[in-house]
Amino acid sequence: MSTTDYNPIEKFEHVDDDIAAVVEDTELPRRLKTNVYETIDERDGAVTIEQADDIAKAVESKYLETRVDPLDPVGTVSAQSIGEPGTQMTMNTFHYAGVAEIDVTQGLPRLIELVDARKEPDTPMMTVHLEDEYAENREKAHEVVWQIERTRILQLGDISTNVADMLVEIDLNEDTLRERWPTYDDVVDVADEIAATIDNKLGVQTRRNGPVIEFGPEEPSYRDLLQLVEDLREIVFKGLEDVSRVVIRKEELERDGETVEEFVLYTEGSSLGDVLEIEGVDASRTTCNNIHEIHRQLGIEAARNAIIDETMNTLEEQGLDDVNIRHLMLVADIMTNRGEIESIGRHGISGSKESVLARAAFEVTVNHLLDAAIHGEVDDLDGVTENVIVGKPIKLGTGDVDLRMGADTSGEQAD
Amino acid sequence: MVDVSQHELVPEHTVLDDDELEDVLEEYNIKKTDLPKIKRLDSALPDDADVGDVIKVVRDSRTTDRAMVYRLVVE
Repeated sequence: MSTTDYNPIEKFEHVDDDIAAVVEDTELPRRLKTNVYETIDERDGAVTIEQADDIAKAVESKYLETRVDPLDPVGTVSAQSIGEPGTQMTMNTFHYAGVAEIDVTQGLPRLIELVDARKEPDTPMMTVHLEDEYAENREKAHEVVWQIERTRILQLGDISTNVADMLVEIDLNEDTLRERWPTYDDVVDVADEIAATIDNKLGVQTRRNGPVIEFGPEEPSYRDLLQLVEDLREIVFKGLEDVSRVVIRKEELERDGETVEEFVLYTEGSSLGDVLEIEGVDASRTTCNNIHEIHRQLGIEAARNAIIDETMNTLEEQGLDDVNIRHLMLVADIMTNRGEIESIGRHGISGSKESVLARAAFEVTVNHLLDAAIHGEVDDLDGVTENVIVGKPIKLGTGDVDLRMGADTSGEQAD
Repeated sequence: MVDVSQHELVPEHTVLDDDELEDVLEEYNIKKTDLPKIKRLDSALPDDADVGDVIKVVRDSRTTDRAMVYRLVVE
């Protein structure tokens, strides 16, 4: 569709010259004009020219009413609209009351964490949705749980050190093995696999006797023995290294207008990239609360959506859901404007402002002024902050309008 | 590799052709470089997108039905 040679009369059967004229006469943007044409067209020619005029006028006035006025300080309004409710938020970290006893940072700390674009949230977590039978069958869901939750040796059995023979002995708990490796028929295979992993990771020779695995340092050395035990505790035998706990919950969800019951996993710790690859995980709905991870895995637009969702949820959780979402959308838009996530603050948006005075007014005043002086920076006094500082009217709202007296003496006056 | 375009957080991304681009720039009265950016290595970028291309993103908007936005692919 091209703006220049757009012809509604050709495109729509029931749009004639007169109707096109009244619609084109409005201040509506192209897309809304097209919408008006489509609506008129759907009535199969039942719309008279007067009615078309009424429709066009009504849409136009509604549109002009809802539009942001030129020179409206939308950013300032957003800052106030988020800042004021922010004063009513809790300063403390609460845990997720309803959702599966997983501790999640909430309230003001969470909001700050989001707009600061911290690399890691205080309490990373994921919400993992499952596919088909994995979502319906508890055993299948548990298979996925054990693929995600990290399993270390202490969860599998008891470790003891035999100083006399310079050996580390692991007594594996067969019930745990059966539980965590549900796809294996024989626990012996699992024990073999664990032994092989230890061989690999620690570079030792293990011997397995039933559920007992033992190994020792090459040369008898008390220090090496203790070091082996240390290293052994760190090995991840199954699951994802960053996920310390997974909670499984049955939830009622709306899907295609129907209520369905399915299992949803909540994790402490997050590793979105790895989780999306696991079989049984629904890669179209699974998310995490780390906006950087979402940016890496799903791109900048998904990160923008995540910022809006997370900030809105944080506010809602505190009963502050009357904050208009447009303010949060503006924040998310500006944070993702350059194709990567930038924080709101001196290291991000505010720090990359053009004006020296605007930057200096924000934080670390002296450093900014000093740097600017050293580099001989010039401030054009275009922005708001600079003009407030030097005491000139700001270029916003009525401040940008100049009044000129007509020098014309013909008797007519400017109104 | 997971197909990220199927994720509910990811809106539809398409490469804009030159004619459409001209219309967009005319409508908003801006230069191509005034558009928001998207990195070349962004996971949601279509395969045929190159630096300098403009991507059309069709968002399921929270305030209207659908919202069209544009991002310039940068290094």
